[in-house]
Amino acid sequence: MEEVDVEPTITNIPAISDGKHMGFAWGPGDILVYETLYKASGASGSGCSFIHEIRKDEDIYSPILRKLFNESHHIFVGLQTIREELPSKSKKPQFVSISKNYRSVIRACMEELQQVAGNTVSILLAIELIWNLCEVLFIDAAPAGSLLLHLLDWVRLHKADVDERAREVLQSESPAEHHDYWDVVVSYVLQGRLEEVRQMLVKQGTLQPAARSMYKQMDTLLSKMPFYNPGGTQTLTEFDVKWRHWHEEVDRCLQDNSFASNRHLEVICKILLGDEDTLLDHKELLGTWYHFLVTRLLFCHPTVKPTELHYYAQSCMTMFLDSRSVSEPLDNILLAAFEFDIHQVIKECSIALNNWWFVAHLTDLLDHCKLLQSHNLHFGSNLREFLLLEYASGLFTHHSLWQLAVDYFDHCPEFGRVYLELQIERVPLETERKALKVLRICEQRQMSEQVRSICKIMAMRALRNNRLGSALSWSIRAKDAAFATLISERFLQDYCAKGTFSDLDLIDNLGPAMLLSDRLTFLGKYREFHKLYGEKRFREAAKLLLSLMTAKIAPQSFWMTLLTDALPLLEQKEVIFTADQTYELMFCLEELTSSLNITASSTDRPMQEEDVEVTKVELLRLALARNLAQAIVKEGTVET
Amino acid sequence: MVSVINTVDTSHEDMIHDAQMDYYGTRLATCSSDRTVKIFDVRNGGQILVADLRGHEGPVWQVAWAHPMFGNILASCSYDRKVIIWKEENGSWDKMYEYTGHESSVNSVCWGPYEFGLILACGSSDGAISLLTFTGDQQWDVKKISNAHTIGCNAVSWAPAIVPGSLIDQPSGQKPNYVKRFVSGGCDNLVKLWKEEDGQWKEDQKLEAHSDWVRDVGWAPSIGLPTSTIASCSQVRFDVITNAEHAIYSAFQHLKHKVFIQAF
Repeated sequence: MEEVDVEPTITNIPAISDGKHMGFAWGPGDILVYETLYKASGASGSGCSFIHEIRKDEDIYSPILRKLFNESHHIFVGLQTIREELPSKSKKPQFVSISKNYRSVIRACMEELQQVAGNTVSILLAIELIWNLCEVLFIDAAPAGSLLLHLLDWVRLHKADVDERAREVLQSESPAEHHDYWDVVVSYVLQGRLEEVRQMLVKQGTLQPAARSMYKQMDTLLSKMPFYNPGGTQTLTEFDVKWRHWHEEVDRCLQDNSFASNRHLEVICKILLGDEDTLLDHKELLGTWYHFLVTRLLFCHPTVKPTELHYYAQSCMTMFLDSRSVSEPLDNILLAAFEFDIHQVIKECSIALNNWWFVAHLTDLLDHCKLLQSHNLHFGSNLREFLLLEYASGLFTHHSLWQLAVDYFDHCPEFGRVYLELQIERVPLETERKALKVLRICEQRQMSEQVRSICKIMAMRALRNNRLGSALSWSIRAKDAAFATLISERFLQDYCAKGTFSDLDLIDNLGPAMLLSDRLTFLGKYREFHKLYGEKRFREAAKLLLSLMTAKIAPQSFWMTLLTDALPLLEQKEVIFTADQTYELMFCLEELTSSLNITASSTDRPMQEEDVEVTKVELLRLALARNLAQAIVKEGTVET
Repeated sequence: MVSVINTVDTSHEDMIHDAQMDYYGTRLATCSSDRTVKIFDVRNGGQILVADLRGHEGPVWQVAWAHPMFGNILASCSYDRKVIIWKEENGSWDKMYEYTGHESSVNSVCWGPYEFGLILACGSSDGAISLLTFTGDQQWDVKKISNAHTIGCNAVSWAPAIVPGSLIDQPSGQKPNYVKRFVSGGCDNLVKLWKEEDGQWKEDQKLEAHSDWVRDVGWAPSIGLPTSTIASCSQVRFDVITNAEHAIYSAFQHLKHKVFIQAF
């Protein structure tokens, strides 16, 4: 027996009281629970008559997130169609751009959700944070030098409150005296936005003319901090040397007590040196351990290599989170990312989030970047496919999003088809239009079993609602001979009862479908006979009518009706049936009467009915005889 | 984690023993110790009583919906030893067929895959399992497996209709040779697999993994792999038996499965 990855989570059902037995059944997309009692022998006693429909708090039911699902579906399909033959190198910019597309969709969703309160915004924020980091580390795979710059961008993007506060300060009457002034300055320093720092410090400098030289010195230091330029001619080593010189200069200023008289400037100086304790003093401004990490790297080790990241990450997290706070799932996910353990990132995200959207799309993208090792899971499928299948299956329970799911299944080569086959049968076919939509999807993919099943369901439904024409066309589409026969019988019964056909258009245009069942063929041909008769093409009509009986297309039960139909043709002034044809008709009549035994008296049939039958037969015999006589004469006459 | 999105007040006067959604999740069938079977239309979070079916003379244990291609058909089984098959005709529900061939409470009913037509498996406390096949024109053919489980049978579940060796493409146009299989669980602590061969039902395998009565069994849908997964649960605790490389989670997505849970 295999081991499970994690202990199955226990889900508390809010509606059932303690101590009761709980009955449970799966519905499509949700579960039913009710209170009950299981006992060996028949259980009785007062029960609760409520049945509760329980659903996981999944986000697919949120109308705003629907946009996320729709747009990301579009991006997903586009990604799948990127040509395989191109070498990976030229595809990297494409993948980065796709990654940015996904992220912009998330951000657009967040903006819309700002108006509506709730957990979803914070979850989306976290998702975008993680995705962004994955893009930097895995997809863009920035090397040392650029790596820090990207991480800096990442932190700045996710700590937008600094700008808000700055605006508030700058818009005040005397910004340099605003109580938030120094917080804003320090925040800018921590984010490495030294231009903004210099601009802010100018305001302070003008307020304190006595300290002007000190402010000038700080300004110089700030302006000289080197930042690596990936597009430039300077190599990383050259940059490193330059940076060390600058770092030494800042250190000298500190040792010289150049800023000793101004507490704030001294703090800034220490930050520029990357002093841990000073940084940790400003936990509140940093907010998170990963901000702390990036700031520390900026001011201690800007040429950090990707492989070195996890040492710093682990130590920063430990330092920042003191013994009182506990690491949250988000922290573990980010740490796993810094350790370049893609599988761990995906695993943790799968457990922490209640929707597969994020892990499915991210994993798919990483798979396209060829970053996932072929990690064969127990159910014989790979990780990418597993996650996509889970995500798409979840979509299928939604009344309109299920259509998106079809594309996802299409791009899962191993199990996508069979999952689609299982799921598509459960889409409720409320209207014929919807049924046709589902049918088209199945037909496009040659899912003949599902096509047949859906057609049969629709045919049965139409028949129950007495829409014979619809039922017939569905059973033809299902190639269901038995059902077609059943419906044809109903048509013929209706004709016998009312004397007219319903749904003439359908029957007239059967075409080759007529051959599906014998009864259907008869129905089509019989209608053709009526048409010919209506068009006064009597000879052809007569021929057809006869062939219906002689070729045994018509069931014997119907022959009486056919022969009765022949009467008007026999009674015409002009002779229509030839002598031979008349003999054949007589033969049919004899065959019919002998098998039905009409002329013999039978006690169990009501007298009236028998009388009618006998009269009919006599009439026919008379008409046939007369016609025969006329036909013989006509055929024997030579026209002179 | 989860929320109640709808509560249906069934107005059953006694303990509810089963509730099943139909194929599309639009209708709910419930059955109870009050001897009735009720059908509700639950679209759009509402509840409208469609039918209140009376015909059983004892607590009704289970209900099962047939595939919609056969129309609206529901089976129910009861302590009164009867299995009743109900059908909706012209907007009203009536008894289509009543089977009284068991000598004791019938505990479980399960419809086979639609590829086999309309076929119902019934497990009873008399230890027998009967298979009712609709042959047309209100006729039902009955096959009985006597002494399937010594003290009684508690649950039956069908395997999906797959052709043996279905991973190899079948030449088109040929009617596939389905093998009918189902699994049953009983008071003899055993889970048994049954197979139909030459029109006869034979015991295919016997699984002894439980230490108490097997309360329910479920056969996972097929996803084309050459192995199958069955889940079973027992009175004492919940077990899963896998004889395949499936992980538990993906099987649960699709299993129609009743779990015997005690709320603490």
